[in-house]
Amino acid sequence: MGDKPLIEINDLWVTYWARSAFQLRSKPFHAVKGVSLSIKAGQTLGIVGESGSGKSSLANAVLGLVPVESGTIRFDQHELSAMKTRYPAAVRKQIQAVFQDPFSSLNPSMTVEDIISEPLRVHTKMSNDQRRKLVIELLELVSLSKDHLKRHPHEFSGGQRQRIAIASALALQPKLLVLDEPVSALDVSTQNQIINLLYERRDALGIAYMLIAHDLALVHHISDRIAVMYLGHIVEEGPADRVYKNPAHPYTKALLDAVPLLDPAKQRARRAARKAQPAYDTPRDAQVGCPYKNRCPQVLPKCQTQAPAPFPVKGGGVASCFLVADAQPTSEAL
Amino acid sequence: MKTATNKTHNASMLAVAIPASTILILLVIVSIGAEWIAPYDPLKQSLREALQSPSPAHWLGTDNLGRDVLSRLIFGGRIALISSLEATLIAVVLGVPLGLFIGYRGGWWDWAVMRLVEAVVSIPGIMVAIVIIAILGPGLHRAMIALGILYSTAFLRLARSVVLAEREEVYVKAARVIGASSNRILLRHILPNIAPPLIIQVTLTIGAVLLAEAGLSFVGLGVQPPGASWGTMLNTAATYMALNAFLAVPPGLAIVITVLSVNLLGDVLRDSVGRGIAISVKPTTPTAKFAESTTTSQPKADDILHIQGLQVVVNSKDGSEFPVITDLSFSIKKGETLGLVGESGCGKTITGLSILGLIGTGGRVTHGTINLNNTELTSFSTQQMEQIRGDEVAMVFQDPTTSLNPAFTVGDQIAEVLRVKQGMTKKQAWARAVELIDRVGITRPAERAKAYPHELSGGMAQRIAIARALSCNPKLLIADEPTTALDVTIQQEILDLFRDLQDEFGMAILFVTHDLAVAADICDRVCVMYAGELVEMANVDELFAAPRHPYTAGLLSAMPHASDRKPPLPTIKGTVPVPKLWPTGCRFSERCDYSQKACEQLITLTGTTSQVRCIRANEINMGASI
Amino acid sequence: MLRLIGQRLISLIPLLFIVSVLTFSFTALLPGDPVDLIIGDEGTAEQYEMVRERLGMNVPIVTRYFQWLGRAAQGDLGTSFFNSVPVMDAVMQRLPVTISLTAVSALIAVIVGMAAGIAAALNPRSWIDRLATFGATLGQAIPNFWFGILLVAFFAVSLRWFPATGFTPISTSPWEWLRSVTLPALALGLSSSAAIARQVRSAMVGVLQQDYIRAARAQGLSRRRVVFKHVLKNALIPVVAVLSFQITILLGGALIVEQVFAINGLGSLAISAVRQQDIPMIQGIVLVSVFIVVAIQLTTDMIYGFLNPKARPS
Repeated sequence: MGDKPLIEINDLWVTYWARSAFQLRSKPFHAVKGVSLSIKAGQTLGIVGESGSGKSSLANAVLGLVPVESGTIRFDQHELSAMKTRYPAAVRKQIQAVFQDPFSSLNPSMTVEDIISEPLRVHTKMSNDQRRKLVIELLELVSLSKDHLKRHPHEFSGGQRQRIAIASALALQPKLLVLDEPVSALDVSTQNQIINLLYERRDALGIAYMLIAHDLALVHHISDRIAVMYLGHIVEEGPADRVYKNPAHPYTKALLDAVPLLDPAKQRARRAARKAQPAYDTPRDAQVGCPYKNRCPQVLPKCQTQAPAPFPVKGGGVASCFLVADAQPTSEAL
Repeated sequence: MKTATNKTHNASMLAVAIPASTILILLVIVSIGAEWIAPYDPLKQSLREALQSPSPAHWLGTDNLGRDVLSRLIFGGRIALISSLEATLIAVVLGVPLGLFIGYRGGWWDWAVMRLVEAVVSIPGIMVAIVIIAILGPGLHRAMIALGILYSTAFLRLARSVVLAEREEVYVKAARVIGASSNRILLRHILPNIAPPLIIQVTLTIGAVLLAEAGLSFVGLGVQPPGASWGTMLNTAATYMALNAFLAVPPGLAIVITVLSVNLLGDVLRDSVGRGIAISVKPTTPTAKFAESTTTSQPKADDILHIQGLQVVVNSKDGSEFPVITDLSFSIKKGETLGLVGESGCGKTITGLSILGLIGTGGRVTHGTINLNNTELTSFSTQQMEQIRGDEVAMVFQDPTTSLNPAFTVGDQIAEVLRVKQGMTKKQAWARAVELIDRVGITRPAERAKAYPHELSGGMAQRIAIARALSCNPKLLIADEPTTALDVTIQQEILDLFRDLQDEFGMAILFVTHDLAVAADICDRVCVMYAGELVEMANVDELFAAPRHPYTAGLLSAMPHASDRKPPLPTIKGTVPVPKLWPTGCRFSERCDYSQKACEQLITLTGTTSQVRCIRANEINMGASI
Repeated sequence: MLRLIGQRLISLIPLLFIVSVLTFSFTALLPGDPVDLIIGDEGTAEQYEMVRERLGMNVPIVTRYFQWLGRAAQGDLGTSFFNSVPVMDAVMQRLPVTISLTAVSALIAVIVGMAAGIAAALNPRSWIDRLATFGATLGQAIPNFWFGILLVAFFAVSLRWFPATGFTPISTSPWEWLRSVTLPALALGLSSSAAIARQVRSAMVGVLQQDYIRAARAQGLSRRRVVFKHVLKNALIPVVAVLSFQITILLGGALIVEQVFAINGLGSLAISAVRQQDIPMIQGIVLVSVFIVVAIQLTTDMIYGFLNPKARPS
């Protein structure tokens, strides 16, 4: 495959213009602020963040669902950001998606066969028989059967609907699959079924995944690399194991620490170490300095005015934090 | 619970639909065959026979010119039918395509057309019709063109709003990702979803046009004399009211019955073609049998809550009842936090609501006792329950943004409880509300008290909801998934707040959650529920170290952070069965790797301080799966 | 609140502009030449020119629009083609009649509709609910003018409780005014009562299912208090949103109901104007009605803003 990434995002900004009916001026809201990352063919990048972190906007920008304010998205020889959401068929075929809510992501008036064959109708000139054969194959791949062809989405459970969505996304054998919170609407016992299915399909077909989620632990299971987003910025990025086991950025640490442990004794010890905090109600948008300065327990004076650049972390990857830079002051010398 | 078709509902729908459509079909037949069916020529005058009452010769009498009322009524029906269809057709043809176009296109087109529509709508409808008739001149077809143009605004707005709503749906996003063109998305993906509201709007418009045509003809701007229409007949009737009041009855009733039939048919269509209503599970296998409570125990001295053998049933839409909770027993000690854990649909929330007596009209407690602080609640009247609520037991709900009333400030909502339940004055109540808001860790409490719920973040709104729940110092707090809707870092803050407040207020907590890790963090003891029954209960350390029920063990190993291995991750096969399809015997047996023949019989809960509902609990070793 | 009013007023500018253009352009769209209508068949070319000039029809249409708009802004809507009465005077003379009829029927519609809707929503599937729902469906199917005829036949002709026709201004005799307005207002208000009852019922049922209602009950507030404070305020929001639409319908319906009771309101003025193609009169009536509708819309917007904190500009 070589070293050239399948998709390369460089200094990407996504901006929404909040327009109310009465206001003449519109205010910009920057959902994604200068994000750079890349995914190699057949690899999985997990993108983790809380609500409002801009992770879904990033996914939408890659999918060409929202326009790019500035920056570049290069996908397999194509410059996507210049296409302004009008991707040619050659690109559309290669990038598919599965969305979070299995109850609204399938058209209620279409049958399962319609839904799964829709990408084939748009992009291929198959005969009806060929297409049906392929749809049945796809259904079987996601553990459903041809008995389900003529049913409508409302007849399925959440997990089954997500399987249908995956079958439809795989129909064109894309090179990149964007997964936007694919299991967060599902019950615990169903979540892993879908994760296992995704993992198995990836290895069988060599697809790259861009996996968006709020749960670091879940992402960690199937990601090669993990990026952590906070208020539109990527604050840390690196190999999945390193980020999960040795987080460098205070926010990544906070995210991991906030997930309760399944061992009550260890959890008691951990929470004894912290005390009750007041509600976090500082302005969301830190205009100058580090985006995390208002919540950071280890904030330094210089964080108020300077935004930290990404510094390399021991074990791979980068973190945008002065503490990381200070911990390895002479990384070049090593 | 959105299962099973609604038999009684269907029956009442048919009881309306059949007569309504019969009347309309009759109207169509009579209109087509008017020449053969009508006994007289509707225009034939006979002044000697003017203003007669009903007789064998003239079943409905005659009008001022001696014309036969029945014949005029029949020919009037033809006019009503043709004209309402004509105007509705014009309205649909004009309105729908334009509405679809501007809705999907948006931008300048949308703005301009919508301003024009607003302008037309702000002129009273009849006046728009009158003005259009002024331009085109009086007459039936011109009046119908006028009404068609007028009602096209309704179709335009309908089509536009459907497109705007559907455009935001995730499935449209998915279609764009597939690469479907704009036209394809509009025609293949969105258009089929417009059919249900469109059909309803058509019926509404037919009814409205019938009424408007009658009105215009009545004032002489529609059908011109001597033509027979229901409106002109009423005009005659109004003039000769003093001489023959009966003249007003036949055309009026004809209009009412026709419009009523059309509207009722529209209502039936609306109820039956609505999205998602078609969900149906056939009434299958005999409903599961369940064990009536075998053990009886009395509440201990330090029990705040003691539930014994609780069974809750809810109404199915076909009128039958089915259980959603069976044989549920547990107790909570003073100051203790008990976790109620399980996946969606296992009956956790209903348990919480049944303690408060708030299951709603669809459900009721059929067996068992709920003892709160040595008071039996199941026999309480509504008034008695209202006194207990808030003072003795309070509840915090899952979604803080929907559990606070959007129309009142948050301070108001806390102060109201204090005024009503504690008899405080307005001033005292407000001061105490601000204190409580401060206590739950919100900065600038006096200012925040004046905020409306939508002005607060989710975490902050949940703190307010907690403050309100604790305002009367209840002995038991029911927390129903209070952190599920929140981000994980906010969840941690709220969990810490619960613990902190428990130290101060000393209340017991019934903590309902689907997240075992949250239970591990906050609970002293944990009850695991599956399909409406308790399957395991144990001290928190014990449960997580050595789960004894296969379901508990399965859930634990399926937690995302239970391991850091690569897939395949451990799973539980299948899905949680809906209440009507619970298997007889062990309800987990179909998904259990350890199930045997013996699991098909009723399984009872065994043990005292820790309990498990599994006949193989002692023989198989689930082990610490972590 | 002031900002809300200001914003609404600004957003009305395009609306009023479009309505004025539409209204004015009737002149251009009308078939036949009004000048011919006035001078009759025997008119000479000189007479023709004279009348044409008197009507101001000899200047370009755009100029005429702005002249007309300027005069209209000062309250001068021109004079009738037929009896040379100033349109403003004719309209103003008839307006109080139509407005009192509309206002009383709106009051009846709101009271009856709210009561029926609330009663139905609080007792779902009971006989009250069925009765109210059926009554609402029936009410929407009965033509207001027919209902008027029935009311006259029963209460005026048979029982002689109310006058069958005519209208007494409130300034002449409040009692007689009430007697003269009751039957037409009942006839007119029926279908709006039905529409409001349906709206109130569905809004109440929707709000009753909300989490915050359950939460208020869980807090031990009585059912009565929860219904009349927490439910009603939220349920009124969608109702108020359609109220101005209902009043607009009432205003239009008044034109027809007036005919049943031989009331000399805007209705008879409008109908005779249409028959005679009296352009300035039609324009005047439409403009004045739109003005009333806009005023009603502004008022309901205020109430909406009061009820719904989310609608207030921050």
